Amino acid sequence: MKARAIAAAALVALALPTTALAHANLLERTPTYGSRLAVSPHAVSLRFDQGVDVFKDSIDVRSATGKVVTAGPAHAIDDKLIATVPLERLPKGAYTVRWHVTSNEGHVLYGVYTFGVRVVPPPPTKAYGAAGPTAFEYVVKWGYFLGLALLVGGLAFRLLVVGKRATPAVERRFYIVAALGVVGAIELGILGFLLTARDAFQLPLSRLVYGDLSPLAQGTRFGTAFIAMTLGFALVGTIVFLAWLTDRPVLLWPAFACGLIICSGLSLSGHSAVDVGSTWRSELADWVHLCAACIWIGGLVQLAFVVWPAAPTLRRDAFLRFSQLAAAVVGLMVLAGLYLAYVRLPQLSDLWNFHYGRILLLKSSLVVLALSWGALHHFVVRPRLLRGRGASSRALSRSLLGESAVAMAILLVVAVLVDANPPPRPAPQPTGAVPVARAPR
Amino acid sequence: MTPPAEVVHWMFATGFLFLGLCLLAETIVGREVWRRRSWRKYLWPGTAFLMGLLMWPVMVFFTSSAIHMLAHGVWAQTMMLAGAAQLALVRGKLRNPLWELTLPLALAVSGGAFLIHEQNPWLFSRAAFLHHALGWTALVGAVITLGLFARPRSPVFNTGFALVFLAFATLLFCDRNVAPIFGHLSPLAGAK
Repeated sequence: MKARAIAAAALVALALPTTALAHANLLERTPTYGSRLAVSPHAVSLRFDQGVDVFKDSIDVRSATGKVVTAGPAHAIDDKLIATVPLERLPKGAYTVRWHVTSNEGHVLYGVYTFGVRVVPPPPTKAYGAAGPTAFEYVVKWGYFLGLALLVGGLAFRLLVVGKRATPAVERRFYIVAALGVVGAIELGILGFLLTARDAFQLPLSRLVYGDLSPLAQGTRFGTAFIAMTLGFALVGTIVFLAWLTDRPVLLWPAFACGLIICSGLSLSGHSAVDVGSTWRSELADWVHLCAACIWIGGLVQLAFVVWPAAPTLRRDAFLRFSQLAAAVVGLMVLAGLYLAYVRLPQLSDLWNFHYGRILLLKSSLVVLALSWGALHHFVVRPRLLRGRGASSRALSRSLLGESAVAMAILLVVAVLVDANPPPRPAPQPTGAVPVARAPR
Repeated sequence: MTPPAEVVHWMFATGFLFLGLCLLAETIVGREVWRRRSWRKYLWPGTAFLMGLLMWPVMVFFTSSAIHMLAHGVWAQTMMLAGAAQLALVRGKLRNPLWELTLPLALAVSGGAFLIHEQNPWLFSRAAFLHHALGWTALVGAVITLGLFARPRSPVFNTGFALVFLAFATLLFCDRNVAPIFGHLSPLAGAK
């Protein structure tokens, strides 16, 4: 009897409608996102698939300098399916639209997008009022870079250093570290994307859940990189899983190749691709720099946390082989880094006169520290190992952990550096774009 | 440029139909007979894993709201996790039976994601009704798979497990972007 009563109560609970509320979807924006209009529009209009409540401040339109350019209050038309606001006559420039409406059942929706009058508008991340990044975003980005390094560098280490000598214990630890890299990169990539959207919307994460992310995801290089890299990580994770499942390490080669290709997503959406003066050479140099850094740092982590504790018999060979690999990739990394510094900082004084330059100086100092540490290993420890001594030394184990820690600290500085603005450079020829003001951080 | 949501739902319905039929066939003929061909034991876990992988494009291309994006990401990860754990268990790479618990975990998290991301009441529209029904079906599935963990040979739990996926398929095939449910369609959902 009691069981029947519980079952009946459960059925009633299932049959009752939930108290959750309806929400509308944005169907169309006028002017459209990213459009470059020849003449000033008369109004901004947003069409929804359901009726919405519109308040007089529901649509905020501002110029690149933050001037409000609406010519009256926002209001609803066409059975409340369209929210619209009249505009002043807009001069040439970029404009940011921030909107919020309430569905008839009380749900608040948000959005932000940009359009331009006779100029190409900036992406939503550079819209007027967009802020950030915060310290938390730096930490998330650091974790993302670390995940990338663990994955790409781990694969390189497993294929180029360990090869066929992998013991079951090394194999197990390698796959755990690689899985951490993939999962970390995917999860932190999604979180980073949402945090960037929060910066553009200027909303807390709890209210961002009904934000329309499509202008960010499908209308910016950042969004395109997010899409490509998320899909790429899912694919690489699958290949690594299949390699583990079927005991076929040969599958790690395509996973490594995919990982290197994924790295290009960052190079094709960062400073090297979008700043004034960017060329295919700067994109290529950025990609080489990133790949080399991933292989170096990820390999170092594998040596310190996988081979050293799990395979004492493999230590000497792994150290010697990684020493050769590290020398090559660090050389590439330094060369590409010097080229990028030359491109972004044409004057030596930019190093101490600009925020970007000062962060670069800090990063370079840490790199010099890590390279000195590596040189100590290469020129002092390596000859000892070649003579068959020192592989079981605790000091060497601690030294490797220390070098890994410095390498990870470099990634934290990189996370800050990629969001800093390099010194402005004069454009080679007018592009029609206007500088976009940013809210103070 | 993305296809209508209902078309994507039908594609996944096809996958769930195949998955459910495989499980139902295994229940009817018995595990020993089903696994006489060794590839068959990888069939449903492999399908679940592949469906998880195919959910990632849905996540990154359907970004009209953050909560939809997150929900699709949750389904992608839970399907891949459950499929991967089952593949590893049948392959012998994982031996701890506790990995079987990834199934109820995946179904519970997926069901929760369905119920949280659907903000409309049951009879708001057909899509809303189906989301609620899918969420509760997944939660029932989580309970069934917990039973399956305790009694792996139970025909009741095995049949129930297969029926959960057949129910998923049926519900997803019923989906339309704007359609009434039992004669109800809210004006807010597009009723004229």
